[in-house]
Amino acid sequence: MKSVKDVERKEYYLFSPFLRIFHWIMASQIVILFVTGLLITKPMNVATTEPTFSITSMDLVRDIHFTAAFIFCVAFILRIYGFIINKGDRLFPRFWEGHFYSETVDVALHYMLLKPHHAPFLRNPLARMSYAGLYVLVAIEILTGFAMYFMTSPSTTGGILFGWVNTILGSEMMTHYVHHYVAWFIILFAIGHLYMVIRAEFMEGESEVSSMFSGKKVLAHTPKDANELE
Amino acid sequence: MDKRESLWEAYLKRGFSRRSFLKGCVALTSLMGLSTDMLSKVVEAAETKPLPVVVWIHGHECTGCDESFIRSASPLASDIVLTNIALEYDHLLSAACGAPFEAHLDEVINKHNGQYILAVEGAVATKDSGVYCMSGGHTFTHLLSKAAKGAAAIIAYGSCAAYGGIQAASPNPTGSAGISNFVGGKPVVNVPGCPPIPEVMTGVVMHVALFGTVPPLDGDGRPKQFYGNRIHDTCYRRPFFDAGMFAETYDDAGSKAGWCLYKLGCRGPETYNSCGNLRWWQGMSYPIQSGAACIGCSNKNFWDEAPFSDRLPKYGKLGDADKIGVGLGVLTAAGVGAHAVASIIQRNRRDNLMEEEHKD
Ligand code: SF4
Ligand code: SF4
Repeated sequence: MKSVKDVERKEYYLFSPFLRIFHWIMASQIVILFVTGLLITKPMNVATTEPTFSITSMDLVRDIHFTAAFIFCVAFILRIYGFIINKGDRLFPRFWEGHFYSETVDVALHYMLLKPHHAPFLRNPLARMSYAGLYVLVAIEILTGFAMYFMTSPSTTGGILFGWVNTILGSEMMTHYVHHYVAWFIILFAIGHLYMVIRAEFMEGESEVSSMFSGKKVLAHTPKDANELE
Repeated sequence: MDKRESLWEAYLKRGFSRRSFLKGCVALTSLMGLSTDMLSKVVEAAETKPLPVVVWIHGHECTGCDESFIRSASPLASDIVLTNIALEYDHLLSAACGAPFEAHLDEVINKHNGQYILAVEGAVATKDSGVYCMSGGHTFTHLLSKAAKGAAAIIAYGSCAAYGGIQAASPNPTGSAGISNFVGGKPVVNVPGCPPIPEVMTGVVMHVALFGTVPPLDGDGRPKQFYGNRIHDTCYRRPFFDAGMFAETYDDAGSKAGWCLYKLGCRGPETYNSCGNLRWWQGMSYPIQSGAACIGCSNKNFWDEAPFSDRLPKYGKLGDADKIGVGLGVLTAAGVGAHAVASIIQRNRRDNLMEEEHKD
């Protein structure tokens, strides 16, 4: 039986270093934000005799959460810069191209195990859609996060820039709920994402995992979206 | 009352000294949240401005806001009603009643057209043409739009008038809503709270009365000086919050020691009110100080954000979002695991097929 290893492949340079660094910052900060966020909603019981010195101090946990949030937001500069200078970084689903829809169905059928394979892609349309979805979730987190954060002084610039989120959601408590619920959806996305890249790496040998380090993908067939790199 | 007297004239008439007048002005200044530099302006206004005519109407509510109002200590509610404003019409505090009383309302509205302050307590019942709240033989909606037409300023007292209040809680059978959409587009000063703090109520009406303008408002129409801060950011238990010292139940050691009530569902972190700094009953206490978690009574929709004793809503047996999230996470993990197994089987089959084709 032929293994995925002895198929001849071509190398494609896809992801700029900026996207890759951003990706790992995003991944690590999401983990930090998620854990500290859960702790903020349900603080741990004070375990030590002198709570002021315990590491479960709410002040500390909140500071870590806020710092991680700011690092995350600032890291978007890298993402945007990569987007501008490198075509391979542009992963938006191409809704405006007719073949997008048939290709989506093709890939979906494969993932539903109804078709043995799907056409080769550098970035398949379903993956692109899931990333767009993730960015929507992240945007909601950023908006609701700052809407709560800046409300310590509602009439400052930050309060004015983000206060409307609370108005739209009806109440600030609702902002807390939305922030918390969407965090869970991001974690569910992460589980699925982790599985899909590992699957592509080990089953199709498409170097999905390593591409986020090296920026390169190696494919056996010419991918349908190869022209996007030109 | 034809020639309307000023506050100073009212004091004179009652034989009060200049000294007590000035003292009253100092108290008023700090109550309205103004800096002491403004004292001379307050005195000037109190000397010259004629006492404002106030029409106070009640809609769909419990009159709890009035209960709060009459407990205002500085200024005393009795002083306000008897000397500081000309309260011409009030469902609750007026001695008169019946047809003459209603006729008096029309008279006041016509005579002081464009000059009177309209204070509204209670929500508007909108369902079934408003029949769930009637006043003087008409729907409250009718009374409200009639009184709002000639008002110089409109104050919405309490969470009911501002946002609909308890009766607007889901499923809201009477279609209750805040008054802002029923006053012909006039701006409304929102003074939410269930009830609002007495001194906040008197402070707002005195600001309008003395300066003839509404106090500085935030985006939601609330006076900034009273609703500019979250309770959490003014709460004296905040150091316990920061240190991570929480009461877990209402009778544990932490609760007795006065630790933070966050884990008991305290809504202080999202509630804008003066409870933390002004407090209630002449600064005696406020709910958190008395050991009860804040329920966010001055917030829009607070009534639908149960349980008040928890940070997250619960969905029956499923539990709260964290429990459901863990469940979904496990399910997703199991799902991708099964998918992985199925994918491997499928790939092996595909590879075998391809090999057979090669052989042929
Ligand atoms: S008791 Fe409530 S308002 Fe006070 S610090 Fe704790 S959570 Fe904040
Ligand atoms: S502490 Fe909260 S619930 Fe209590 S009166 Fe103040 S705002 Fe309302």
